[in-house]
Amino acid sequence: MLAKLAGVKLRARAVMEGVLSGLHKSPHQGQSVEFSEHKEYAPGDELRHLDWKAFGKLDRYYVKRYEHETNLKATLVVDASGSMGYRSGPLSKLEVATTLAGTLAYLLVRQQDAVGVSVVTRAGAADIPPRAAAGHLHTVLDALDTLQPSGGTDLFAAADHLAERVRRGQLVLVFSDLFDDRDEALARLLALRARRNDLGLFHVLDPAELEFPFDDPTLFLSLEDERRIEVNAREIRESYLEELQAFLDRTRAACAEADVDYTVVRTDEPLDAVLLRFLGRRLRRAA
Amino acid sequence: MTFAQPWLLLGALAALIPLAIHLFDRRKPRPHPFAAIAFVLRSQRRTASRLKLKRIILYTLRTLILLAIPIALARPELRRPGAAVSKAVGPAATVVVVDRGLAMRFVDGESLFEKARSEARSALATLGPEDPVTVLPCGPEVVPPTAPGLDRSEARQTLDRMRPAWSTADLARCFEVAARTLEESPTAGKRIVVVSAFTAGSLRLETPLPTVRGPNDKRVRPEMVLRDVARGRKVLPNHFLSAVKAEPAPQAGARAVQVAFTVRNVSDAPAKEIQATVELGGRVVGKTFLELTPGGTAQKTLTVRAEVGGPVAGAVILSPDGLAEDDRRDFVVQVPRELRALVVNGSPSPVRYRDEVFFLEAALSAPSSPIRPVVKDASAGLREPLDGYDVVVLANVPAPVPEEAARLKAFVERGGGLLVSVGDKVEPEPWNARMGELLPRPMRLVKAAGAESGAGDGRQAKLGEVRWGDPLFAPFSGRGREGLMGARFQRYMLVEGGARSDGSEVLAAYDDGAPAFITTRRGRGRVLLFTSTLDRDWGDFAIRTSYLPLVQRAAAWLAGALDEREALEGRVGQTLTLRPDPQAQVTSVRAPSGVVVQARLETDHGLRVGPLPEPGLYQTFDSGGQLVPGSQFAVTLDPADSDLTRLDEGQLQAYFGEEAVRGPGGTADRRVPIWTWLVVTAAMAFFAEGLLLRKP
Repeated sequence: MLAKLAGVKLRARAVMEGVLSGLHKSPHQGQSVEFSEHKEYAPGDELRHLDWKAFGKLDRYYVKRYEHETNLKATLVVDASGSMGYRSGPLSKLEVATTLAGTLAYLLVRQQDAVGVSVVTRAGAADIPPRAAAGHLHTVLDALDTLQPSGGTDLFAAADHLAERVRRGQLVLVFSDLFDDRDEALARLLALRARRNDLGLFHVLDPAELEFPFDDPTLFLSLEDERRIEVNAREIRESYLEELQAFLDRTRAACAEADVDYTVVRTDEPLDAVLLRFLGRRLRRAA
Repeated sequence: MTFAQPWLLLGALAALIPLAIHLFDRRKPRPHPFAAIAFVLRSQRRTASRLKLKRIILYTLRTLILLAIPIALARPELRRPGAAVSKAVGPAATVVVVDRGLAMRFVDGESLFEKARSEARSALATLGPEDPVTVLPCGPEVVPPTAPGLDRSEARQTLDRMRPAWSTADLARCFEVAARTLEESPTAGKRIVVVSAFTAGSLRLETPLPTVRGPNDKRVRPEMVLRDVARGRKVLPNHFLSAVKAEPAPQAGARAVQVAFTVRNVSDAPAKEIQATVELGGRVVGKTFLELTPGGTAQKTLTVRAEVGGPVAGAVILSPDGLAEDDRRDFVVQVPRELRALVVNGSPSPVRYRDEVFFLEAALSAPSSPIRPVVKDASAGLREPLDGYDVVVLANVPAPVPEEAARLKAFVERGGGLLVSVGDKVEPEPWNARMGELLPRPMRLVKAAGAESGAGDGRQAKLGEVRWGDPLFAPFSGRGREGLMGARFQRYMLVEGGARSDGSEVLAAYDDGAPAFITTRRGRGRVLLFTSTLDRDWGDFAIRTSYLPLVQRAAAWLAGALDEREALEGRVGQTLTLRPDPQAQVTSVRAPSGVVVQARLETDHGLRVGPLPEPGLYQTFDSGGQLVPGSQFAVTLDPADSDLTRLDEGQLQAYFGEEAVRGPGGTADRRVPIWTWLVVTAAMAFFAEGLLLRKP
């Protein structure tokens, strides 16, 4: 159904609704806007947050302050390399990545957090700095909506770029298939965690990449460069799956070691469930 | 290898299908853009060599399947020589008995003898290093071998020296000798390996198998291992000359020889277009063709003509078969020489039938006669030089003058023959006086018989006692003998009673005991006295049927030609007694191959020669090493040895026991069906292919 919705905005909203409905069912609902402290009223504060009970006791105006008012800044990093354009089902990996990013942008903006976007390709990076304004959401979603897959994956460059542009302590959520041939690329990306950035990694993979369901002799063409190879897919399937599993295991282990939230996203699974899983883990960590 | 359905082998071409598919049916791969191509590349690199090997194995397996199935359907079978059962546990003393009999000369692509030698070498090679062994070449005669030893080279040398014999081997005798040889060995195990074609003639099945002394002095049978060099053949097909008889055929003309021969076909197939060639004096003089049914016999008689008289060597030769040695048979025939006879007519007459030599001349000059008579009257004949004549006939001739008598005596002593017949011109006194040294016995007087005698019964004389065994009368039998005995004589000359020391022999006598034919030797020649007339004056002998052959034979006998006809023939392996002319001084005899044959002079002056080692023409030599002309003789194979019928499986099993004859394979080719293995191979290949395909 999600695939029938054109554009990131619609898909993200649909996913968000699922997430929100899921959140209502959660025993941890509302925890994200938890009361933090009282603050003496100053002009410009929202009147709805006035604590009338305190006024009655103390005859002074105080307003309640909540956690979301801690001013969270998040950067959504979307890999828009050519490989992200692959699809075996209705949605490409890039569409899934942008939908997830858009949904999270909705959620973050909804709770007054600043959200920005960084699109990385081998050609370079395009950034929208994080802002909390409601109108900023449209900017973010428009940027995600116009993304087209192209070029190769360069996690090295992306990590260096983020290290320069993202301030310490920011939430960084990366949406990528991590198909970078260099072994050190992932380590460089995870190094952001050492800069006290809260890092989350959405590893977006297509079911065909995970299962390799090919039988006939196939000429595989690279989506990022001129590489091509003719193989009997059935003959190498076992070996391919072993290689891929080893890659996933390495990635998962590296993320665990770096205390990075790692989520494997199949492009054919419900994205709200993915996000609920993600949010649930984060709430548990925060608790 | 043999195939029951060879045409199905065409299906083996299907083995090319995998190759054709590989070459021509390369499917175009489907292009597919793929993100995780790095993993595909890595997997391909990792599995490339394994996949290549797998493809090769798959290709091989598929080819194998497609090759094995049609070959299996063609039902191939391997023919393997049977190996013998080995019962011996531990070392066993072994005697390898190798048949070298005549049958082993049979050529079946390769001679059975060479096959036997190879089999014997193979048997030596299969023995364990601790098996003492010796080789016993088994022929008609058996020489005990050396004791079994561990030195294989001696056994191999024995095999190398071995030669095929000309007679059938005596396997039973060889087994006995082998068993005795085994008993000499201290090794506990005893084994006899028999390499033979197992023809019926080589093994007397009624003879029990030999035993050897076993543990506790009990007699046990040694282990018998059979190696059949004629595996797979029920019979060794052989046609051969079973008999050849060559004799002069005077009725067919001068120097005519009648050659009668018998050919047998011992085979389960007919023998067609067998050419038989007759040679005389090294020249082909006759040819004929024979057709023989399986197991059949054919007889042929050819009349041929020799170029010269005297002893002539000849042969009958058949178109060769597997055993060519018995397809030729040599013989020596005494071709009647042309004899010249001087007939001295003592009582010529203008009336021909009353002439003294009318009947004699007619008999001697008959068309089939080898004698060429020259008739002279008494005055001319007695003065005629005698050197050109073989025989002189004095027919009712008055007593020669002393000079003439001396010439006659010299003629006889040189080897000439003299026939004297009497008549009214012959007066005993002058004859006895001048020719007494030549006459067998002195003449006495003329005796009249029958009506002329004045006796009451009037019975004419006839021959009473005849030495039928003498060469002169030997041919007379049956009616011929009756014809001779029917002759009647009214008169005949009585002779003095002879002493045993004078050397005269009465060959025939009248019924009153008076000699009719008396002979004696004078020098190298012979003298024959006929005591009646050669015409009808004193009897009717001249018009009897026996007259012609008798006078011809008498002339030939006197010239020594009858002695020459007694050609000898011997058999291989036997001994032969020659009776050569004492003056020839024969001292040695050589076989056709040049081998000097043992010859021993016996007390009766006979020369005992033998055992005769081989067939063919043998020559005799005098003490100076010179060839003695006319003394050659032929030696032939025993026809019984040419019967190469083989003992069948059942007979061998019954004789040697089933443990020695390992089923049909023991003496025949073991047929090993390999198509079942091919089916199994194809099934296994199919299974392996499935496994490979199942596991990517």
